[in-house]
Amino acid sequence: MITVDGLTKIYGNRTALDHVSFEVPKGEIFGFVGPNGAGKTTTLRILAALLEPTSGRALVDGADVIEHPDLVHDRLGYMPDFFGVYDQLTASEYLDFYASCYRQPKARRKKIADDLLELVGLTDRRDQAVDTLSRGLKQRLCLARALVHDPAVLLLDEPASGLDPRARVEMREILKELQTMGKTIVISSHILPELTELCTMIGIIDQGRMRATGPVHEVIRQLTAGRRLRITVLGQKEEAAAVLKPLSAIHEVVMVNGSIEARYDGDDAAAAGILQTLIAAGIKVSGFSQLEGGLEDAFMKATSEDI
Amino acid sequence: MNRLAIALWNPIVAKEYRSRMRTWRSPLAMTVYILLLGGVGWAIFASTAATARNSFNGAQAANYGQILFLWLILFQMVLLAFITPALTAGAVSSERERQTIDLLFVTKLPAFSILWGKLLASMSFVILLLLLSVPIFSLVFLFGGIELDQVVIAFLVTAVAALTLGIIGLACSTAFKRTLPATVSAYGAAFILLAGSLLFGLLFPTEINPNATRAPAPPAVTYLSPILPLVVIGTNGPLNGYGIRNGGIYPMTQGGGMACSAGPNGTQSCYMTTVPIGKGAFGQPYNPPQPSGTTIPSGLFSGWQYWQATVTLQLVISLVALILSAILLPPIRHLPWRRRDRGVA
Repeated sequence: MITVDGLTKIYGNRTALDHVSFEVPKGEIFGFVGPNGAGKTTTLRILAALLEPTSGRALVDGADVIEHPDLVHDRLGYMPDFFGVYDQLTASEYLDFYASCYRQPKARRKKIADDLLELVGLTDRRDQAVDTLSRGLKQRLCLARALVHDPAVLLLDEPASGLDPRARVEMREILKELQTMGKTIVISSHILPELTELCTMIGIIDQGRMRATGPVHEVIRQLTAGRRLRITVLGQKEEAAAVLKPLSAIHEVVMVNGSIEARYDGDDAAAAGILQTLIAAGIKVSGFSQLEGGLEDAFMKATSEDI
Repeated sequence: MNRLAIALWNPIVAKEYRSRMRTWRSPLAMTVYILLLGGVGWAIFASTAATARNSFNGAQAANYGQILFLWLILFQMVLLAFITPALTAGAVSSERERQTIDLLFVTKLPAFSILWGKLLASMSFVILLLLLSVPIFSLVFLFGGIELDQVVIAFLVTAVAALTLGIIGLACSTAFKRTLPATVSAYGAAFILLAGSLLFGLLFPTEINPNATRAPAPPAVTYLSPILPLVVIGTNGPLNGYGIRNGGIYPMTQGGGMACSAGPNGTQSCYMTTVPIGKGAFGQPYNPPQPSGTTIPSGLFSGWQYWQATVTLQLVISLVALILSAILLPPIRHLPWRRRDRGVA
């Protein structure tokens, strides 16, 4: 659905994007993460046909963003990180205006506005002036605006920034609903735990270069070296650590909140072997589970060194 | 809806109407506009009525009507020169400042439609002001001396001048990111158009050619100003004493000059005091052809009405400014000379 191939953007002597490439298949939620100034917004603006790349290509549903910006605009909804609203318009008039900008028939525009206000939970605010809405409500309204022409792709640049926890949860619920509607969503965000829960794919960008991209769990696995076990024992922590440390598969053993965390190499069979060794050594194991590295670990790893 | 209807009634127009008319500024602007124009009309009317009370006849009444019309139409032009740039100079730049322009760019509206919508909405307000002024202008018909076609043409010249100022303002708004420099440059352009071009006629007037068979006319640049045709329409007579260098200061002579005197019938007689290069001989009276009627007697627009030349020049400027704006506005410009090899990595 989205193909980015060797995208480069140079401002004067500063390279904002350096041969960025990734693909987002239909129906996926792609989390685009990176520190401030990494190139996330630049990439999204190029995808929205608002910025010309220095080189490389970007396709949205097969339409080249430079050659066919009209087709691209027809197929995607864009929500920028910073946006303004017009004075003197109510929420329903605001949506009606953008629906008419997308050439939606007049007869359908009221229904579109009503449906979208319901989707984003603003039905009771339909007659409220948009400039008097809170930031969270404006964010929701802007998301509704991006949907007035029922696009297949959504580009959301920091949709949850500046929102309180409740508004973030509500925004996440709306995005999940959009996912069930079959939308392909690209979402840039700094809030990594939410992305882990929401996204099916992820791309980590830093200093204009794509550090890693792919399915979330695969990227995390790639970037967090080794696997981790959380072992809980009944009062024999020191003994258990002494049993684990000599094992060749174990790299590191640390105590975390009363449990033992062990980093090891190998597959599930290796984990089973470690458990057997502990039991054979007379350690009373009450808990034994595999821990997966988090997105934060992967992000820190990806953005702290050259890959 | 056909393409023309879509172009004329695009969503920007509807939105701008709605936004503009919901604020207190628009009614206030209309009220102030009418009060100012009405005030000037009343002052001229009161002055002429007082004069007419002492000695009044039909010919004088016509003269009073012309004076009133001339003052009103020139004052209206100056008022619109202040109002129109303010309406359009922020049209695009304020969208940028408000961070709403990207949201428009990602819709299906082409850049030209955005410009056109902004222009149409602003010009509609100007047309509304012009319509509001019609009852005040009807005062002149109490005196006579002004025909309906003069009023219509004067309004046409005013409307085209306002349109030109509006499009220039829009071009400034597109070219500058911020509203302040856009507004300053739009007012600068308005000043150049209205007063600068007239100043040009004073500084660089057309020199009388003794060999010419037609009366001299001011330089063509001066026709850019709507003031010139409005004066011609208001007085319904030839333009005398502006944009022409006469009086023998720079005649085409060798060693000497010209002496001129006014004749009893209003014509001007000039006498060569030196040996001229062209027609005439030393000491012989030389009568340069005098302009008559409201047409341009010579030059690039020879035979045209002044208002026709002004309207034509301003429409050309408007078209150029509009095309320039349409090129500048889109976030990605598809210009032939900017095509490059976009390599795929």
